[in-house]
Amino acid sequence: MSNQQSATGIGVRPRPPISAWFHHHRQAAQASYEKLLQAPASNFLTVLVIGVALALPHLGISIATAVQGQIEQLDSPPQLSLLLDGTVTYEEAARIREQVMRKPGIAEVKLVDRDRALAEFTAATGLQDLVERLNSNPLPHSLWVYPKANVRTAGLEQLQSDLGALTGVSQVILDSRWLKRLNAFTDLLRTTASVLFLVMALGVVLTLGNTLRLGIEARRDEIVVIKLIGGGNAFARRPFLYTGLFTGALGGVMASLLSGLALMALNAPVNRLFELYDQVPALPSLVLSDLFVLILMGAGLGLISAWYSAQLHLTRIQPK
Amino acid sequence: MDVVFNRVGKRFGQRDALADLSFELQSGEMAFLTGHSGSGKSTLLRLLLLLERASSGDIAVGGRPLSKIKPSGISKYRRDFGVVFQDHQLLSDRSIYHNVALPLEIAGFTQRDVDRRVRAALDKVGLLDRERASPDTLSGGEQQRVGIARAVVTRPKILIADEPTGNLDPQLSAEIMGLFSAFNSVGVTVIVASHDLALISRMSHRILILDKGSLITAGDSQRGRG
Repeated sequence: MSNQQSATGIGVRPRPPISAWFHHHRQAAQASYEKLLQAPASNFLTVLVIGVALALPHLGISIATAVQGQIEQLDSPPQLSLLLDGTVTYEEAARIREQVMRKPGIAEVKLVDRDRALAEFTAATGLQDLVERLNSNPLPHSLWVYPKANVRTAGLEQLQSDLGALTGVSQVILDSRWLKRLNAFTDLLRTTASVLFLVMALGVVLTLGNTLRLGIEARRDEIVVIKLIGGGNAFARRPFLYTGLFTGALGGVMASLLSGLALMALNAPVNRLFELYDQVPALPSLVLSDLFVLILMGAGLGLISAWYSAQLHLTRIQPK
Repeated sequence: MDVVFNRVGKRFGQRDALADLSFELQSGEMAFLTGHSGSGKSTLLRLLLLLERASSGDIAVGGRPLSKIKPSGISKYRRDFGVVFQDHQLLSDRSIYHNVALPLEIAGFTQRDVDRRVRAALDKVGLLDRERASPDTLSGGEQQRVGIARAVVTRPKILIADEPTGNLDPQLSAEIMGLFSAFNSVGVTVIVASHDLALISRMSHRILILDKGSLITAGDSQRGRG
């Protein structure tokens, strides 16, 4: 053999192992890329499935995050309403206001005169006749208390309790239950989106895994020959890993596209909703980091699918 | 690279495919393995390629006991072999050039070396002008020559051929055998399994005759390099 080599002058040995390893990867990546281009329609469908599977949870998480951000802004100055005893005069109410102002965590306190409150009530409801038939004004003086922005839910509840203990205060209303409900709803949305992501990710792994299984079966003869002439499982597996990686990454690009379009479509109605709460519209559009995350997720899931499928099916194919 | 079988047995269920088989091939020797269907020829080759493990006895190739080779080392071990199949096992979605280049790609040769070696191998089997063709466009004899080119392109230490002339006419069969002799003449150990006794009898090399898994005759080599 050495005689033959020296006679022809042809290179006598392969590349060093690490160089050969990189070379095999480059070859496998190129071959996988070419295979993807050979069947654009069926591969597009696979990419579309992955795109939808990633876009749905991404959309859910994006909306939940945006709404949560708005709620936090709403949450910062919630109003506490202090209804004073009916016997409390305007002067006493003014003194109670001073007491409340001295409490920590208070930004502002407005004294609402009972007569002004009744006038506003009458104007707002149009119940002029009914009000005129009353012998006296049934409304008490009240205080609108605005806590500082840094006072959070637990602090508000403590404040509610403290203010309720003041002499002359009949009732303290902290109207934050709707906020809690909205918070719980967005938490639910976020959790649902996360669970959806896990289910969809499993779906992607199984769908792509099955597609790759068909690819492995279609190339059974090639795999047998490769194994017979000295290629191991790693060599046979490599093109499938790249196929999974590329398909998954393209699925991530598709997910970005779908998610971006959906966010654009949802932007107007969501912003209208925010404006009802005097909030600055803030539904995010797709940003570059989302694009990277979706592509990375798609590529990662594609790689996992390919690895799972190759481990399951490739090792079973042995030369006869 | 020498091959030593020492009291090798292979059992499939209750059936002995090989029993107490012993022989030795010297490095650079050429041997024909013959016998009726089911005599154990293919089983012997499968043991040699580590497609199966022996049930008993020892096999050593190049002084290395095959029982010591772990599953992870099998693919590397097989790179010392060139294998020619009766049904050619060519990949129809690759050109002839790329079929022959496959073992070199697996071994990690540079593109320049792959190119030169593939062309040299195809030239040797007389198919250089068909390198871009698909295997499906070739005749049976041409396909077998491509298979031989693929088997020898890495300059293997041992060339194994399992019924390489099974589907070929006598003239093509003689040409194929001539190619094996040519490779043997440059120092490659060659083992050819064939049931074509008429063809084998015309060749002046060592003959191992198997019957029901046992070696019944091991004729002396006339040109062996031992």
